[in-house]
Amino acid sequence: MTATAPRPTTDAGPEGPTRASSTKRAPTRRAGQGRTPRAFYWMVVPAVVIFFGLHTIPVVTGMFFSLTNYAGYGTWSFVGLSNYLNLFRDDRVIASYLFTFGFAVVSTIAVNVISLAIALGLNSRIKFRTAFRGIFFIPYVLAILIIGYVFNYLFANSFPTILQSMGLPGANILADPQWAWVGIVITTVWQACAFNVILYLAGLQTIPAELYEAAGIDGASSWRQFRSITFPLIGAYFTINMVLSFKSFLQVFDQIVALTNGGPGTSTESIALVIFRGGFQGGEYGYQMANAVLYLFVIILVSFIQLRFLQRREASF
Amino acid sequence: MSPRSPFTDRNRPGPTNAKHRGRLAAAALGTAVVLAGLTGCAPGSGPDADGVTTLDFFQFKPEAVQDFADIITDFEAENPDIRVVQNAVPDPDTAIRTLLVKNKVPDVLTLNVSGNFAELARACVFADLADEPSADTVNPAVQEIVQDLGSCDQSSADGGSGSPEVNALPFANNASGIIYNPDIFAAQGVEVPTTWTELVAAADTFEQAGIAPFYCTMKDAWTAGPAFVNLGGALMPDGFFDDLRAEGSDVQDGAVSFNKDFGPAMEKEVQLFSYCQDDFASRDYNAGNLAFANGESAMYLQGSYAIPAIRANAPDASIGTFPYPVTENADDRIAVSGVDVGLSIGRDSPHKEEAQRFVDYLMSPEVVQAYSESQSTFSPLVDAEPNTDPALAGLEPYFTSGRIIGFIDHQVPASIPLVNMLQTLVITGDVDEFLTDLDDEWSKVAARTTTQREGK
Repeated sequence: MTATAPRPTTDAGPEGPTRASSTKRAPTRRAGQGRTPRAFYWMVVPAVVIFFGLHTIPVVTGMFFSLTNYAGYGTWSFVGLSNYLNLFRDDRVIASYLFTFGFAVVSTIAVNVISLAIALGLNSRIKFRTAFRGIFFIPYVLAILIIGYVFNYLFANSFPTILQSMGLPGANILADPQWAWVGIVITTVWQACAFNVILYLAGLQTIPAELYEAAGIDGASSWRQFRSITFPLIGAYFTINMVLSFKSFLQVFDQIVALTNGGPGTSTESIALVIFRGGFQGGEYGYQMANAVLYLFVIILVSFIQLRFLQRREASF
Repeated sequence: MSPRSPFTDRNRPGPTNAKHRGRLAAAALGTAVVLAGLTGCAPGSGPDADGVTTLDFFQFKPEAVQDFADIITDFEAENPDIRVVQNAVPDPDTAIRTLLVKNKVPDVLTLNVSGNFAELARACVFADLADEPSADTVNPAVQEIVQDLGSCDQSSADGGSGSPEVNALPFANNASGIIYNPDIFAAQGVEVPTTWTELVAAADTFEQAGIAPFYCTMKDAWTAGPAFVNLGGALMPDGFFDDLRAEGSDVQDGAVSFNKDFGPAMEKEVQLFSYCQDDFASRDYNAGNLAFANGESAMYLQGSYAIPAIRANAPDASIGTFPYPVTENADDRIAVSGVDVGLSIGRDSPHKEEAQRFVDYLMSPEVVQAYSESQSTFSPLVDAEPNTDPALAGLEPYFTSGRIIGFIDHQVPASIPLVNMLQTLVITGDVDEFLTDLDDEWSKVAARTTTQREGK
């Protein structure tokens, strides 16, 4: 993620004031034309410096420590690439990658299907449309950590009681190594849908009503209209939703801390949780930095592949 | 920097390149100033304007915040030139490590003297307290527990003393055994068990009477630990962890391993947890303290440190303790004891002298005594009065006569998720998988780390 921001050029603007090119132009130029107003530098330079200082330098520092056996304090020495090799032998790390990818795939599909359905509903002519939109947006405003603790309580106390009163077997799924991940998915989807609904709504607003009128005259069913008009035309929104939600689910951390803390056992440890635990609690800072670097490249690669694959499927008019 | 707004002077002749660069530099400089403001400035090392030195006091024990607040009030009354700021955080082990990553060691610390503490001590982040006046008042056997875990051992050339240092003074000791409810025992006619068979028989008796034998709190993984250290510590061969460390990174085929030596102990742990209440996997430590205080179970697998928390829920709760009867021989019983609270000073603290005064005050007999009564701990001082708390009466004789062992989980590297594995073990009951996984994790960590732990 070390974006090398282009260094602001100090020459006088887009035409490039080299002597060779300026001879071709008329010598009488209006003052100020072809020159970038200084205000833009005042906008860009501080942002670049802050980004570099607070982001790029820490990333590079982390990459450096991934080549050492640094515990996070005390002395350290270089160990070359052995941290990276050990990652591939560490079944706890491998299990966390498998868990995180499984979780991200299931959550991404669930979130996008549910959000698109909700967005279609909120985009149609229903009563209290504005009120509904407001209500559906509320989860996005709440912090996921707080939601996690609330759901933790619900899973441990309320849901089992409700299920038992209905005569069904009620147990806390968060306490079951087999099924704890389902609880995390439910909580995540409940919170993440709000944002995706907003994006899909924005996409649906861009489709001209004439298309539906024409399709209606031609006798197309509503399913056919969705398949042939709506979905292709919000392709770009679908792409960005898929990529953004998959990326953020790969980085899942807060809700796991609040719900299971990686448990029971180590059955719901996500990659970020393993990095945090090993690096800050387990005294293996250097080793987990290597894990973080690997994780970074995995996320970049996955997002890139997703973009290439999904953008080819978009329609435009 | 130009006082004129850049938006209003568009019609001025453009600046030359040199001027341009100057503006860029100014912008960058301005940003740098902003950044410097963001990072804040380090506190000065001297006392502030009115001659009062502020000590940053990292206090790990949430149950004891009020005790330390009272101690600090008394201390500040006697020492008006020092102000102590107590920082108590929810997750102290993580918090202290993140502070260390940022090179911010507090002036004075209370820490649980565990494997985590030992790793930090060996990394030489704490000052040497061997010459403190109060160091001579500590019971040598207790100081030995601290020293055995590990300490800074630097040559004098590197700023060390050349001999193993004293990086923490023990302030309070705990003991781990089985906590029980004497009223329930009396009502069911059950005696305190002295052998494993009697313990199982007692559990069966309570179960038939419709009383939960144990209240278990597996939502907090670490609460599987007390039973592990008692059963494992009592049944493991002598010197097990030294031998295990000597084997390096391939313990599966070694002479000692968890698979070879911990089977019976873990079978017993699974057996104990089979007597837990139904929803044991979704209840946490706080719920357990509340439930035991309300008499919802006959026994509770926790250490002496849970007693104050139980009393916080019910001041007059009926509480007793007894050591785990692990074998069929009543004389084999031992208590597990550790230094619950150790006092340390940051190695590079700018307020060394004031920090030492505070530590000496904390270590004075009346402060230690008052704390041990308030928190149900054992005093580590050499001439301490035995703790008269009836809840500790069952473990007190073991502590005073030295029939104690340390916490074996302090010997397991922090990067092994031991408590999570124990959580899985007691929920699934799969002993073989647990032992194989533990050997596996041990081997992996041994292969990764170049520094082997030197504990006992």
